[in-house]
Amino acid sequence: MADQTFRLPDLGEGLTEAQLVTWRVKEGGHVEVNEPLCDVETAKAVVVIPSPWAGTIQKLHARPGESVAVGAALVTITGQGAPTPVAPRPAEAVEATPGTLVGYGPGAGPQAGSRRRARVAPSAQQAGGDVRAAPFVRQLAKEKGVDLARLTGSGPDGRITRADVEAATSRATPTTPAGVATTTDGERRISVVGIRKAIARQMVRSISTIPQFTEFAIFDASTLMAARERQKTGGQSMTPLPYFIRAMVKAVRAFPMMNSSWDESRDEIIVKEAINVGIAVNTNQGLLVPVLRGADQLDLVTIAAQSARLIEGARAGTLKPGEMTGGTITVTNVGASGPVETGTPIISPPECCVVAFGAIKPRPMVVDGQVVARPGAWISISVDHRIVDGALATEFLSKLVAELETLSA
Amino acid sequence: MADVVRVVGTDDPVRPLFSATGELKAEARSGLGLDPAALRDLYQKMILIRRADQEALNLQRQGELGLWGQYLGQEAIHVGAVAALEARDWIFPSYREFGMAMCRGVDPAEMLTWFRGLSHGPWDPRKYAFAPLAVPVATQVPHAVGFAMGSRLRGSDDVVLGTFGDGATSKGDWHEAMNFAGVFKAPVILLCQNNHWAISVPLAKQTAGSIAERAPGYGFPGIRIDGNDVLGVFAAVRAAAERARRGDGPYLIEAMTYRMGAHTSSDDPTRYRLDSELQAWSAKDPIGRYRSWLQGQGLLDDADVAAIDRAAESMAEQMRTRLRAAVPAPAGEAIFGRVYERPPDPFIEEREEFEASLEGP
Amino acid sequence: MEAVTMAKAINLSLHDALEGDEQVLVFGEDVGTLGGVFRITDGLQKTFGADRVFDTPLAESTIIGIAVGLALRGFRPVPEIQFDGFVYSAFDQIVSHVAKYRNRSGISMPITIRIPFGGHIGAVEHHSESPEAYFTHTAGLKVVAPATPGDAYALLRSAIADPDPVIFFESKARYYMKEEINPTLEVPIGSARVAREGSGASIIAYGPTVSLALDAAQAAEKENISLEVIDLRSLSPLDMPTILASLQKTHRAVVVHEAPVFGGFGAEIAARISDDGFDLLQAPVTRVGGMDAPYPPSRYEKLYLPDVDRILEAVDIALAYG
Repeated sequence: MADQTFRLPDLGEGLTEAQLVTWRVKEGGHVEVNEPLCDVETAKAVVVIPSPWAGTIQKLHARPGESVAVGAALVTITGQGAPTPVAPRPAEAVEATPGTLVGYGPGAGPQAGSRRRARVAPSAQQAGGDVRAAPFVRQLAKEKGVDLARLTGSGPDGRITRADVEAATSRATPTTPAGVATTTDGERRISVVGIRKAIARQMVRSISTIPQFTEFAIFDASTLMAARERQKTGGQSMTPLPYFIRAMVKAVRAFPMMNSSWDESRDEIIVKEAINVGIAVNTNQGLLVPVLRGADQLDLVTIAAQSARLIEGARAGTLKPGEMTGGTITVTNVGASGPVETGTPIISPPECCVVAFGAIKPRPMVVDGQVVARPGAWISISVDHRIVDGALATEFLSKLVAELETLSA
Repeated sequence: MADVVRVVGTDDPVRPLFSATGELKAEARSGLGLDPAALRDLYQKMILIRRADQEALNLQRQGELGLWGQYLGQEAIHVGAVAALEARDWIFPSYREFGMAMCRGVDPAEMLTWFRGLSHGPWDPRKYAFAPLAVPVATQVPHAVGFAMGSRLRGSDDVVLGTFGDGATSKGDWHEAMNFAGVFKAPVILLCQNNHWAISVPLAKQTAGSIAERAPGYGFPGIRIDGNDVLGVFAAVRAAAERARRGDGPYLIEAMTYRMGAHTSSDDPTRYRLDSELQAWSAKDPIGRYRSWLQGQGLLDDADVAAIDRAAESMAEQMRTRLRAAVPAPAGEAIFGRVYERPPDPFIEEREEFEASLEGP
Repeated sequence: MEAVTMAKAINLSLHDALEGDEQVLVFGEDVGTLGGVFRITDGLQKTFGADRVFDTPLAESTIIGIAVGLALRGFRPVPEIQFDGFVYSAFDQIVSHVAKYRNRSGISMPITIRIPFGGHIGAVEHHSESPEAYFTHTAGLKVVAPATPGDAYALLRSAIADPDPVIFFESKARYYMKEEINPTLEVPIGSARVAREGSGASIIAYGPTVSLALDAAQAAEKENISLEVIDLRSLSPLDMPTILASLQKTHRAVVVHEAPVFGGFGAEIAARISDDGFDLLQAPVTRVGGMDAPYPPSRYEKLYLPDVDRILEAVDIALAYG
């Protein structure tokens, strides 16, 4: 003998409840299938509800005049023989819509279909920050290990473009070199791809967006050469480069504005803390600029060792993308060989200063009124006039010269 | 120039069977050629479908169906029309013809899954020559005409029954279909079940003219008959079908009846019609009237009546049990299963994604 | 074979379909005796008889309604809606029945509804509509729009052979475009083609805007901009793999259609690209199309409809994103 509870169904008018008007059965009494159980009043109509089962009325769950919610128990019937075990269930999410003449799905009966899988909240995403870059550009940056936050975009409103990312990676693993294409009419066309293309883009960007000017100075390298001799005697052979870098770092420490970036999109100058020195290297593929990170934290010997490693890696094409990005100031050697004394270096965006050193060779200098031959070299610095005025450039250059000539600790 | 008003009907085998007021003439009634078993069967079918209608209403009140639209009072048309056709003749219903579907052999428990929210088309139309329910009013009438045109093209003598209510005759599709039926001489019987109400709009507000009399305007005959006389409906539909089979084209039958119940279980007719009207039509109830006639003819006794009532109860219980036991198809199949015969790839992908997102089958 | 117009290609396709399958019926207003207002059905009634190619009364809704009945009876109906703007009367029969009958009953509706569409022909109101989005939005239908005579021939054969209902949009402004066609080449529903290869941006078009896109690509070449043109051919189902493959190369997309941009089919393409190809994009997907205003009097249609300049402007915007 099964006890079944009949719940008030949604009678098709978008009901949420009905009022029980009268019972037509009594507790303890017997009821047949379809025999009237009760009258309920829905929105302005009285409806007679017939019994779904035969059996004995166990319990009436509402009193005349009482409001019954759809889905609430109406009556419990003890059946003879077990008909279907399914008791009518209320319609889920019944809204109080005005009565429509075409009903919506029944609340009763076996649930049609399954539930959707429970949603699993995604793991916290890193904040994207204020970097503006199109989806493909972000994807490319991710693949190449380029940190978008360190780039200044050359696109509209400071958007980081594909070219920006490619330029940042052009100092990394060399891509396919320029190929040679057609030959017609006494001219040769070389298709521009890979590093060449990236360099081209970078240069155009630099020249077209940064108002740069150059200042020149000569420094007396006697102290530097003497120090090199001492190192050599001590078993350590170093090029002048580590000395240049260390002196430059000290000058930057004195004039931090030289280690900054112009942010076009926000009209802000970003002054960088760490001093990451880009070292321009000539390779078969073209100009690459590996980066010596945190040069301000390193001693001379470490600078020498790491810079040598970077230069070799650049020439061999074995550097990782992380070693090609993140520079804050660049140093270049224009006088590696031949008669070239100095030049006007081009700033590597998004930096604001590039320092070029000429070859150290004997030069005539005036010391105590006498013309003497001293080792010396030209230094030229190109700076971003948006950040650095002539006065500051001069101060910085003077400091750099002083550091090189004294090699303070 | 042609006559101002052309009288269509020289080849009309339906009209001679009826009086001027649409009642089946006595000689026609006795000349129908139906044996006692067949005559009793008409009664039994009316009882069964009425019982099914009542049971469906109960089931709705018990929350087993979301909605039910009663055909209470229209049983003579449902039973009479189907009996007059052959099993191969397709029927195009509106949304109230469950009684007709049952007469064609559709299992009531399966039929009701439509109102249970489980299926838009619970039966195979080809198996029963019974098209799916049509919800947008009158849109099935062009289908019926097209199907009939197709029969003609095939050189077949199948006929088609397209049935609809009084409200449908206001719709553009109805008029277009009537016109096509006439132009193409389609072998279609256009049966209007004029139950006097389109939800709450009474006949007098639905049309200013006469439904039956529109037919000549479209080039074929029409007649208005007493739709609560099962033998009258039978006679009219059969004669019209024979005419169509001969290749003489369409016929409009306007069968007058009354919608005894509400438009649907969500409707409250006490708000717009008088109880006195309902009482007047109760007196003309098709089943009571036919029972009396059968009993008067000595074709039905108390034992027969009781047996038929018991059969109806048994059918109702079957309906109840089987409906409640109906197992819903899996969601993916129900939503995506029948949309295309040749599903495109993106469609298949969408279905797969959907099914993967579910917990159960 | 020698070059034929798109109108002739469609005529040939209908002829071959009627010949190949006895169940195919062609009907609509003026398609029989007259051969259609654009002469698309010219000669067909003579060849196949009035039982298979016939005129109907003036009633778009029931032209489609009888197609449903005829399909149930086992025929393959190919009804014609005379002009785009007149399909609205038949909208109920198309979306409530043609699209849903199989879902309701398990019985397929192998109906192909031919609709000339689009503007640029100096016509009066209601003769220049692009209603394709209403139908791509309706589940159960397939929607195609060929741009060339060859594709018109092949896609119509595919549509008629398809057991499911197909809305076949014919660009009436291109009815007189000529091309050599190969009737043995099959074009399945659901496949786009790359009409022109390029690398700078993908111009996605269908129907009348494909030739426009090709013109734009030619003009862009002179400015050293390389454009790829994709002719969708099929709107629903949509060939996303071809679109995505193109974006792998170009990273930029511009959709071009005559229909108003707001709520137009281009919106679906743009959203889907964003969904399936987000990481390929260097710029947002833009759409070039009609304004969100009713199709104007013909004097203004050239300003309303997309043209080469507007396509190139959209390309410029995409390129400016870097």
